[in-house]
Amino acid sequence: MNLEPTMKQSVIRRSVRKFAEDKLAPVTAEMERTGKFPWEIARQMSRLQYFGLEIPSEYGGAGLDSVSCAMVIEEISRVNAAVGLCLSVHNSVSAYPIYRFGNECHKERFLYPLASGEKIGTFCLTEPNAGSDASSLETTGVRDGDEFVLNGNKIFVTNGGISGINLVFAVTPGAGNSKRFNVFVAESERDGLEKGPPEELMGMRGNPICPISFHDCRVPLDNLLGEEGEGLKIALSTLSGGRLGIAAQSLGIAQASLDTSLKYAKERHQFGRPICEFGAIQAFLADMGTRVEAARLLVYRASFLKDQCVDHVKESAMAKLFASELAVDAARMGLQIHGGYGYTKAYPIERFYRDAKVCEIYEGTSEIQRMIISRSLMRQ
Amino acid sequence: MNRMETSKPIGGVWVFGDYRNYFQNRVTLQLIAKGKELAGKLDTKITVILLGEQIHQFAMEYVAHGADVVMAAEHPELKEYDVETYATVLSRWVEAFKPEILLAGATSFGREFFPRLAKRLRTGLSADCVELEMDPESCLLIQTTPAFGGDLLADVVTPNHRPQMATVHPGVFRELPHNAEAVGRIVYPDVGPLPDPRVRVVRSRRQRTRNVNVEDAPVVIAGGRGLGSKRSFDMLFELAELLEGEVGATRPAILAGWAEEERLLGQTGKTVKAKLVISIGTSGALQYTTGIQGAETVIAINRDPHAPIFRIADLGLIGDATVLVPMLLEALRKRL
Amino acid sequence: MYEPVPIKAMDIVVCIKQVPDVPSIRMDRQRMTIIREGVESIINPLDCVALEAAFGLRDKEGGRVVVITMGPPQSEQALREGLALGADQAILLSDPLFAGADTLATSHVLARAISKIDPLPDLILCGMHTIDSDTGHVGPQIAEELDLPQVCGVNEIHMDGDSLVVKRLSDGFLETARVTMPALLTVTHALCIVRDLPLASLERAFSKSEIMRWGLEDLGLNADEVGLMGSANRVSRLHPPTPKRQGELVDGDPQALLDRLLRKLEALSILDEQDGNE
Repeated sequence: MNLEPTMKQSVIRRSVRKFAEDKLAPVTAEMERTGKFPWEIARQMSRLQYFGLEIPSEYGGAGLDSVSCAMVIEEISRVNAAVGLCLSVHNSVSAYPIYRFGNECHKERFLYPLASGEKIGTFCLTEPNAGSDASSLETTGVRDGDEFVLNGNKIFVTNGGISGINLVFAVTPGAGNSKRFNVFVAESERDGLEKGPPEELMGMRGNPICPISFHDCRVPLDNLLGEEGEGLKIALSTLSGGRLGIAAQSLGIAQASLDTSLKYAKERHQFGRPICEFGAIQAFLADMGTRVEAARLLVYRASFLKDQCVDHVKESAMAKLFASELAVDAARMGLQIHGGYGYTKAYPIERFYRDAKVCEIYEGTSEIQRMIISRSLMRQ
Repeated sequence: MNRMETSKPIGGVWVFGDYRNYFQNRVTLQLIAKGKELAGKLDTKITVILLGEQIHQFAMEYVAHGADVVMAAEHPELKEYDVETYATVLSRWVEAFKPEILLAGATSFGREFFPRLAKRLRTGLSADCVELEMDPESCLLIQTTPAFGGDLLADVVTPNHRPQMATVHPGVFRELPHNAEAVGRIVYPDVGPLPDPRVRVVRSRRQRTRNVNVEDAPVVIAGGRGLGSKRSFDMLFELAELLEGEVGATRPAILAGWAEEERLLGQTGKTVKAKLVISIGTSGALQYTTGIQGAETVIAINRDPHAPIFRIADLGLIGDATVLVPMLLEALRKRL
Repeated sequence: MYEPVPIKAMDIVVCIKQVPDVPSIRMDRQRMTIIREGVESIINPLDCVALEAAFGLRDKEGGRVVVITMGPPQSEQALREGLALGADQAILLSDPLFAGADTLATSHVLARAISKIDPLPDLILCGMHTIDSDTGHVGPQIAEELDLPQVCGVNEIHMDGDSLVVKRLSDGFLETARVTMPALLTVTHALCIVRDLPLASLERAFSKSEIMRWGLEDLGLNADEVGLMGSANRVSRLHPPTPKRQGELVDGDPQALLDRLLRKLEALSILDEQDGNE
C-alpha cells in the first residue's frame, strides 16, 4: 500500500505552497479588514490554471488528478480559507459538472471561461426553505418556447458576488404532481438575475457569499445541463465532488492551526519555560497532530479512490465530516494555546476559529454526512 | 592526471596577491600571516604572487607584512584583473615552480579566478575556508569550509593532487603587523605570451556605499530577527551611538527590511574584529557567527536558552531583548 | 507590417542542481547531525534564475533552452520542473560511478555532455552558487574545460549583435563587460524574478515529456575520470563548529540581567566603573 505522493504531486504541493506563502499571505490581512475579494491574486491564479484544476488542458485547465487538486485546495486554504473556498467551489461544483455533464457546446461557451479564470462560477442550490432538504426547493425552470424561464430565490451562493457563470438547481413542474429536477446555466448578465448584497458572515471574509434571485430570468434551451430530469443526479454527483474540496479546505485550516500553535508554544515563555514544556499544552498539540494526520489520510485516500474511478461516497463523506469537525476543534485548541493573544487579531488563530465553523455546515452538514456514512455502512 | 611528486616542492606556500581595494581589503595580508605559519610547518617559504602594472608598492607592503618572496610581473596587459590572463600566467608559474599550497582571498575575483585556475591545473579547490590547519600525521592541508548553509563545517583534503588550493574568507586570520625592517626577495619571472582577453570591461565604477563601516567599528551592536519588529531593531542605533559603535544585522533582519545590506554580518557579509560585539535577538546560525567570532568579546541576548549563539558568547543573557534593551538604553543615557 | 527576423537564434544550455531545501534543514543538537526527513528536494534557487534568464533571451531572440543536470535518478524531478518552467529539452546525466564527485569531476561530466549537444550552445548559464555546497566552482570549471570566456555574478544580460553585454558587481565595482559568444555566465538573484509554476505545464512536464538520459558510456568517459575516482578533493569529516569560548550564561529577571551586563561593560572599560555615587 503506497501512501506516498508521486514526484509530480510533491512538486505541485510545493509550488502551490510557495505561491500561497509568497503571494497570497501578504494580502490576507487586508482582505480580512476590508472584506474585498483579491482580484489581483485571482488574476495571478488564473494564469497558473488554479481555476481549471480538473479540467483538461484542451479546455484551458490543468488536467490534474484528484489527489493533486486536493493538495491545491489544502495549501491555499492553509493560508487563506476564503480564497480556498472560492477555488474549491468554482472547480468542483461549477466547472467540473459542466465538463462532466455538458455537451461540446456547453464546454465551448462555459468551460473555457471558467477554466481560464476569466469567469468565476457558482452552484446555486440552497434556498430560504431548502437547506439540507434540497429536494424541497421552490425555484422553477419552466419551458416557454425555445427558452426556460427561471423564477426563485437562492441564498448563500458562494462566489455569488463575483461570479460570471451560475449553475442553478431548479424544478420543472410536470403533469399532476410530478416534477423534474434540472440544472440550468445562467450567466450573470442575464436579465432577471439579481444579486443581493454579500452576507455579513462570521468568517470567510473576502468571499462574497450572496443571495441570487431570479425574476422571469430567461435562458436558452441550450443552457440546460444534461438531459431533462437529470438535475438530481447531476446535483448529487456534484455535491459529492464538492465534499472532497471542503474536506481539503478543512484540512488546510486544521494544519494552519497546528502550525501556528506549535510556533507559539515554543516561543511563549511562562513560569521560566516555553509553554510547550507543559503537559497540558503537549496534550493539545498531540491531539491536534494526531487528528490532522488522520484527516490527511482520509482526504487523500478518498481522492485516490476517485482517481481510481472507485465508488467513494462513504469515504468522501467521512473525510468531510472528520476534517471539518477537526478544523473547528483544532482552531479552538489552538486559540486556547495562544491564550489572551489568541483572542486578538494580531494572531491568525482567531480567524481560523471563525473560518472553521462553516465547514461543519456547508456542502452537506455534519448531520447529513453522518446519515450518508451510516447508510453506506448499513448497506454492507 | 596531476599526481604529487615525492620530491620536496620548490615553490612552498603561495598566496595570490589580491591588491584591488587595498587598504580596506586586507585579505592578502591575512593570508601571508597564515601562510607563513603553514610554510614554517612545511619548512619552506611564503611567496606572494603579484600581477599587474605599477605593483611595486604592493610588493613592499607584502614584504613588510611577512612575505619571504614576492613573484611579480609588471605588464600593461596585466593591469586589469582578468580571469583567463591571470590563469595563464599563474598556471605557467605553478607548473614551473610547483608550490605545495596556493591560497587566495575569497573576494569576488578570487572566487571566480581560482576555480578556473584549479581546473587548468587539474587540482582540487575548496571555497571560502574558515580554518586552515596542517594535519600532523598526513602533512595534508585541512581546508575547513561551511556546509549545508553553515550549520556544519566540512574538513576537505586534497590527498593526491598539487597544489592544494583554497580560497579563504576575509577576516578569518589576523595579519602580522607592519615591519619596515622586514627583508624579502622580489623576483620577476617571465610571464610568457599572453592571450587576448575575451571579456572586455567597458565600464567600471565604484558602487556608492553609504558611510556604513561595520568592519572597523570598535563596538558592534548586531541585531537579528528575534527583535520582532523594525521598531525594536531601531533601538540598536541609539545603543550603538551611546557606545560609539556601529549597527550590524543578520540576513533575516535584512530580509525583513530592518537594515541595509551594508550592515550584513557573516559569511556573505562583513566580518568584524571589534573589541565588543553585542548580539541581540540572533539565534547564532553559523552563516552569521563567522562574521562576529573574530571579536574580542561577544555578549549575546536571546530568549531561548538553547540558542546556538550562546556557544560562542563570552557572556550570555537569557532574556527578552525588547524588555532588556530599553532598560539598557535608559541606564546608559544616565551614565554617558 | 513586416515580421522582424531575429538576427540569431540562441541555443542556451542551463546547468541545474537538485539540492535539499537548505533553509528547512534542522540540526539535531543532541546528536549533532542534520535532520534529513521532511526536507524537500528543490532546484537550486539561483539555477531557477538562470532558467528564467534563458527563457527571456530565447523569447526575445528565438532559439532553444536545454536544461541539464548531473545527479542521482531522483534529479529527474528537478529536470521536469525545469521543463514545466519552460525548457525545451532536458538531459539527465546519471550513473552510479558519478557519485562522490567534487567540482573537478562534476564539471568534467557536464562539460563532456554539453559538448555532445547538437547544436552546440551559444550560451551556458549557471546559478552563481548552490545553497548546499556554495563553492561557485562548477560554472568556471565548465568554462575552462570548454575553453569559453566566463563572467560570474551577472545581474543584467543584453544581446548586442554577436556579443553579450553583461553587468555585475565585483568587489565593490559595478562593471559592464562585453563577451563574445559562445560564453558561460553565472547569475545572481538580481538578474530577474522567477515565474510561478503553471499547473498545466507541471502536469505536462511530469506526464508527457521525455527526458534524455546519459551515463558513463554515453559520454565516452572512463571510470577514473568521474565520481570519487575522478576527484581531487574529498571531505574527511563533517563536524559542528567547536565553541571557542567558555561562555557564562545568566538567567533571571531583567534587572539582574541588566546589572550583569553593566558590570561586564565596566570590566571591558567601555563604561566607567561606578561607586554607586554617580
